[in-house]
Amino acid sequence: MIAVGALLHAKQLSRSPFEIATALIVPVVQATLAVYLFRAGGEPGRLLEAAVGAGLMGIWSSVLFGSGGAIQNQRWQGTLEMIMLAPRPPALVVLPITLATALTGTYAMLATLAWGRLLYGIPLTFADPLAFAVAVPGCIISLGMFGLLLASTFVLLRNANALTNTMEYPIWLVSGMLIPITALPGWTGPIGAVLPTTWGARAVREAATGSGPVWPSLGICLAISVACLALGALMMTHVERRARAAATLALA
Amino acid sequence: MTALLRLIGTGGVIAYRALFNWTTPAMFVGTLLVGPLFQLLFFAYLGRQLGVADDGFYITGNAVLAASLACVFGGTMAVSNERRFGTLGHVLLSPRSRTAVFLGRVLPYAGNGLLIAVTTLTAASLLLGLRVPVDALPGLLLTLAVAALACGFFGLTLGAIGLRFRDVWLVSNVSVALLLLLTGVNVPAAGLPAWMRVTGELLPITHAAEAARRLVAGEGFRAAAPQLAAELAIAVAYAILAAVLLKVFEAESRRRASLETL
Repeated sequence: MIAVGALLHAKQLSRSPFEIATALIVPVVQATLAVYLFRAGGEPGRLLEAAVGAGLMGIWSSVLFGSGGAIQNQRWQGTLEMIMLAPRPPALVVLPITLATALTGTYAMLATLAWGRLLYGIPLTFADPLAFAVAVPGCIISLGMFGLLLASTFVLLRNANALTNTMEYPIWLVSGMLIPITALPGWTGPIGAVLPTTWGARAVREAATGSGPVWPSLGICLAISVACLALGALMMTHVERRARAAATLALA
Repeated sequence: MTALLRLIGTGGVIAYRALFNWTTPAMFVGTLLVGPLFQLLFFAYLGRQLGVADDGFYITGNAVLAASLACVFGGTMAVSNERRFGTLGHVLLSPRSRTAVFLGRVLPYAGNGLLIAVTTLTAASLLLGLRVPVDALPGLLLTLAVAALACGFFGLTLGAIGLRFRDVWLVSNVSVALLLLLTGVNVPAAGLPAWMRVTGELLPITHAAEAARRLVAGEGFRAAAPQLAAELAIAVAYAILAAVLLKVFEAESRRRASLETL
């Protein structure tokens, strides 16, 4: 059910010119910015890191805006009551949506890598290609599970889509997607350490550059994400009951 | 004249309240004040780590850029949300000058942008320890105001394009991302290819960011004046372009009966 649902929603998102163009163009602009910044900083050897980092940023944006809009979009389409009436736990109905947003986020990673290779001649020589091929999907699945927790939180907020605008840069920053965490103030460390985005980004970067062991980072990323999934499922059940009792499910 | 000013001022404020309806105070603070501050911190730490430029470069540039989010999207909303809410036809049926109606709508968004830019600059200066010379403050305020106005008219131009093309939000999103890259706010202009520099010269923010940096560096208003004048010229150019496009696309929408088509 999760696989079929995720595929259905990924197909639906992939038919939206807005979603596709945003997932392709904005990360490419960010990748270009990162490339010129790394060049200006005299770090041409780290351009692959810049392209991978920009791709990860794109995946996070896709999950964030997708999860923020997951419930709201169903409200606007008039399908929220129907999916909540399904004889399945609400988390199982919403998880495919957040997984699909992470899946469409892979367009960003593919776009930034292709853009970097074709336009800037960045060699796509990953330190551990097998680990990279595992780390990227692992990161995507993890972020999809984290997205469920976000979606369950956002369901209580009328203007969740506005809140998502606030959360894009902070997560990019504290997760070390483009900036090493060591360059940040010490107080950001504990925040970054509990976010799956930090460990997912670390695993992907380690696989791409060989800067460390991939599997522990990926393992921690998945473990935190499973905890987010469990918490998100509980939260989703709670807010669904609350919304039914207060008759506010369809109210935007 | 009084009636025209009332149309521009009062009309603009009423439209702002109606079309910017998704914000509550908490959302306003989160989206428009906290968001740009984190954007600034992101680039300041990235620039610091890469050794591209000092904190002052990023704080000043990104504070000017902070106005763009509200102004570009606001300017776009000023036209597009009328269509989305089904009220565009009523506005266009009005016997008053549509040019004045729409140009007036930019003013509240520009005020909004100015507030955001000032807040971002103040907060970032306190957090990262940038000292701004006191005698530079009036010039800096003027620079931020002109940048906000230029961004508002740029947004209105995009909104006018929305009368012709459906996916105006895509255009706005991409435009805001391009402002990050092309205006030299985060990558020093010398590090960009010539065509990007030339494109950046034609966009809002580029000249204002340069003027603001000169003011913060203590070079005085005289040194910043040419860049400030260039930013003002960009604002006027986009205002004229927006007015022309609104007229052309309004006429075309009437002819093609596509005014309310989403």
